[in-house]
Amino acid sequence: MKKKIGVYICHCGGNIADYVDVERVREAIKDEEGVALAKTTMFACADSNQKEMVEDIKSQGLNGVVVASCSPKLHLLTFRAVTERAGLNKYNYVHANIREQVSWAHSDNKAGATEKAIRIVRSAIAKANCAGSLEPIEVKSTKAVAVIGAGVAGMRAAIELAEAGAEVFLIEREFFVGGRVAQWDNLCVSDETGKDLVTRLYDRVMSHKHVTLFTGAEVVENSGSVGNFNLKVKVTPRYIRLQCKKGELQKAIDVCPVEVPDEFNFNITTRKAIYHNYPSEYPQLPAIDMKNCTRCGECEKVCSNIDFSQKTEYLNLKVGSILLATGFDPYEPKKGEFGYGEIDNVVTLPQFKRIVHYSGDKLTYKGKTIKHIAYIYCVGSRQVDGENKYCSRYCCTSNIYTAIGVKKKFRDVYNYHFNRGIRTYGKQEVLYDESSRLGDIYLQSFEHEPPLVEQKDGKTVVSINDILTTDKKLEVEADLVVLVTGMVPRQDNSIGNLLKIPKGRDKFFNEIHMKLRPVETVIDGITIAGASQGPKNIKESINSALAAATKSFSLVDAGKLALEPTIVKVDEALCEWCGKCDEACPYSAFDKKEVDGKIVARVNETICKGCGMCLPVCPVNALNLVGSTDKEIENMIDALLPTV
Amino acid sequence: MARINPEFTNKLKSYGAFDVNACYNCGNCTAVCALSDENNSFPRKMIRYSVLGLEEEIEVSLEPWLCYYCGECSATCPRQAEPGELMMSLRRWLTAKYDWTGLSGLLYRSLSASLSAFILLAVAVIAFAYRQDFDPGRLLHYGHYFEMIAIAGVFAVILLPNLIRMWYMTIIKTKTKVPAGNYFKALGELFVHMFTQKRALGCDDNQVRWFEHFILVIGYLTLLFTTVFLDWFASGSSFVIAAGYIESAVIFTITFIFVLSRFNKKEEVSKHAHPSDWFFVIWLFLMGLTAFFVRLFIDLDLLDGNIWLYIVHLIILVQWALIIVPFGKWTHFLYRSFAMYFQKVKESAK
Repeated sequence: MKKKIGVYICHCGGNIADYVDVERVREAIKDEEGVALAKTTMFACADSNQKEMVEDIKSQGLNGVVVASCSPKLHLLTFRAVTERAGLNKYNYVHANIREQVSWAHSDNKAGATEKAIRIVRSAIAKANCAGSLEPIEVKSTKAVAVIGAGVAGMRAAIELAEAGAEVFLIEREFFVGGRVAQWDNLCVSDETGKDLVTRLYDRVMSHKHVTLFTGAEVVENSGSVGNFNLKVKVTPRYIRLQCKKGELQKAIDVCPVEVPDEFNFNITTRKAIYHNYPSEYPQLPAIDMKNCTRCGECEKVCSNIDFSQKTEYLNLKVGSILLATGFDPYEPKKGEFGYGEIDNVVTLPQFKRIVHYSGDKLTYKGKTIKHIAYIYCVGSRQVDGENKYCSRYCCTSNIYTAIGVKKKFRDVYNYHFNRGIRTYGKQEVLYDESSRLGDIYLQSFEHEPPLVEQKDGKTVVSINDILTTDKKLEVEADLVVLVTGMVPRQDNSIGNLLKIPKGRDKFFNEIHMKLRPVETVIDGITIAGASQGPKNIKESINSALAAATKSFSLVDAGKLALEPTIVKVDEALCEWCGKCDEACPYSAFDKKEVDGKIVARVNETICKGCGMCLPVCPVNALNLVGSTDKEIENMIDALLPTV
Repeated sequence: MARINPEFTNKLKSYGAFDVNACYNCGNCTAVCALSDENNSFPRKMIRYSVLGLEEEIEVSLEPWLCYYCGECSATCPRQAEPGELMMSLRRWLTAKYDWTGLSGLLYRSLSASLSAFILLAVAVIAFAYRQDFDPGRLLHYGHYFEMIAIAGVFAVILLPNLIRMWYMTIIKTKTKVPAGNYFKALGELFVHMFTQKRALGCDDNQVRWFEHFILVIGYLTLLFTTVFLDWFASGSSFVIAAGYIESAVIFTITFIFVLSRFNKKEEVSKHAHPSDWFFVIWLFLMGLTAFFVRLFIDLDLLDGNIWLYIVHLIILVQWALIIVPFGKWTHFLYRSFAMYFQKVKESAK
């Protein structure tokens, strides 16, 4: 069909017209092949012009449109919508950028700018000449979501998804739910405990018929794509039968001879090989940790429901979307970092919280009464020389809250905060106020001069060059040094690799756009929530969990999905399957199939993003990108070259 | 290296300081202070030292004396940490530090100790009067003797050693090398500040306060001279008698205004009165008043029949001379002017 293209050249007020002679551009292109109409306009994006374009398309029967104006990032979608309103398929629209790429870049050379604008518009017309109508690709979508991680974010998302009507598989790697929040006692500012929150969420999760919880479960394989993910889940048994009697179980725990450091208490206590982390933990059934169990058989003698015959199971789950809420690890200081691991009374904030929890009337650590506590902030966060440049957001607040609690609970405790600027942002600022009025002392170090922790005559001394006390080196003799450690990504983040979720420089999972698409990943159908994405406090985690739940739900709710048609197509006659496209593809969109006895590449339409990375590596040129075909690109290049 | 001592602020509170820990070091107090300058930046630095408990640093500092308490800092403090009152408390604490007897500290910290001392001296005076059979002539005679002995004694035993201690702390301990000649060159500064309190004029607040204070100091010093050296109560010179009347009237009038303003609490400076502040103005007021009436009764020949009036005056006088002058707020008269003097000496040494 012969093309009838309408070309609109925008003045953008003076933004373009001050440097580009738009009238000359119009003159130069008005007789190009296919051009049926060429106009200049003061503001192409203005309502009046949009209406005029719709009129032109309808009255003149245009089947191609070019607007030469600003960056397509700004108005590509605007003008695509204009063509749609006029009843024309939006892929017939081509955008030419003569502002960012011409007038702003060449304001010193008006003649040259005009010449460049002419060529850019010509190349856009060349593309419009071969552009055609395209229809979205439609795929079916399973109305089920896998939520990975049953911490507060995962559980909250699961509840939300189930209530909206999706089937939810809640997959937890540990034997117990609650993640990091279960390890927290009192939380600011409500004084509720982390365990309370976990209990409340767990009750709701379990009471919902659409949620299925798997503990001791890990995703080991993933295939498929948005709308149709196939997950293989490995479920490790607890080796204890469900009907177990409570009294017998406690006996089984008591007789177990194995003692290992209790990671739940950050290794300040020990636990048995058969264990639960705390009495009111969920699920209420203990588990046997086979990594440490010696199979001595003592527990079997006192408890009839120990069952070592239980086997690891593998389940196949089909879901339309995956929501990742795998959480964080607390930063583990390096040996010798502020004396950690070398000086006896240097602990981390999570450990300190457990020490406070286990102290009775007196605050004690390793048998010694604690009176003077030095807190060193930003350990593992905001590192000047290290890798972790980010702020962990929760630590200032959490630490000051803990310090206030200590000051109120135990008499004669003195808190010294060696900080790098306190960030009790938002409503949490009241904590800083309260703490300083209680007499806590704040000392601020210079960026390149962190506080020094050393042993002097058997005493632990922390010294600092304080920003607020000019020319004075100050020191405190501390009974306990608390390293206020931040958040780091999970040490075992294999799930991220399995699902190919990109990570940021900070190694946390990355969203598509920090502000505008904060819970989606570049892998369609996979959303992220909670601290797996970066440091967050509980409130922020829940916020992101609810957002991710909504986004995931929107992908599975309708039962079908409409995808962009601008993806790669394989010319099966030319393809000889060498696998180079598969290597080049950042999204693993390729696999192979057999056609008439020949192996050829196949593109998974739901995975391909149309990035074009595969195109140049194909040795037989069997790949073409819909919407940017070789023919279109070649014509554009020809149009850009000077006319002889 | 300085060791932090968080218990110091508790100690300071017994000297009248408020919630110093509330300070978050914004520095508004220093910015707004009319007397603070590059070389002597206060009160923020002093607040920081106090919060950290750097006693040695505060002990050798003259800065608390350089503040004349207009109260602008307290009015602008966003945390109600009362920096002005902190500087005042540091002056009390320094007074206690300079005092070798340790009594200043005891009297500042403990109201009951102060009251006991006042009662003890009152009883002693009454007992003495009883032993003299309440004889007006003898009492007036001994009263005059007491004045002279007390001035010389208090100065030699308490004030002079304390000034030497102040000099030692602020100049010797800070390792300032001062050529002996500088002490003479700077002497003018000592007397100018002692008699005029000129520096207080630099404060941005109402200059009336400075004027009232100035008149009070002149009134006090001249009355001291008139009673001790011109023997006002026994004098026959009508000039001396008239001068004494005027001077004592000036004292009780101005102190009355001061007492009133401490009641009204309208100005920053009078919002937070420590017991020592009350004792100082009230005793000065009573001294002026009783002296005025004692002389009036003498002139009207009423004193012989009303010897109680002289005994009251004597009690006030003894309490003043043995408590307030050596250990109480009176000392600021000396320490302030000597602080200005030492400051000048130090600056000239640079």
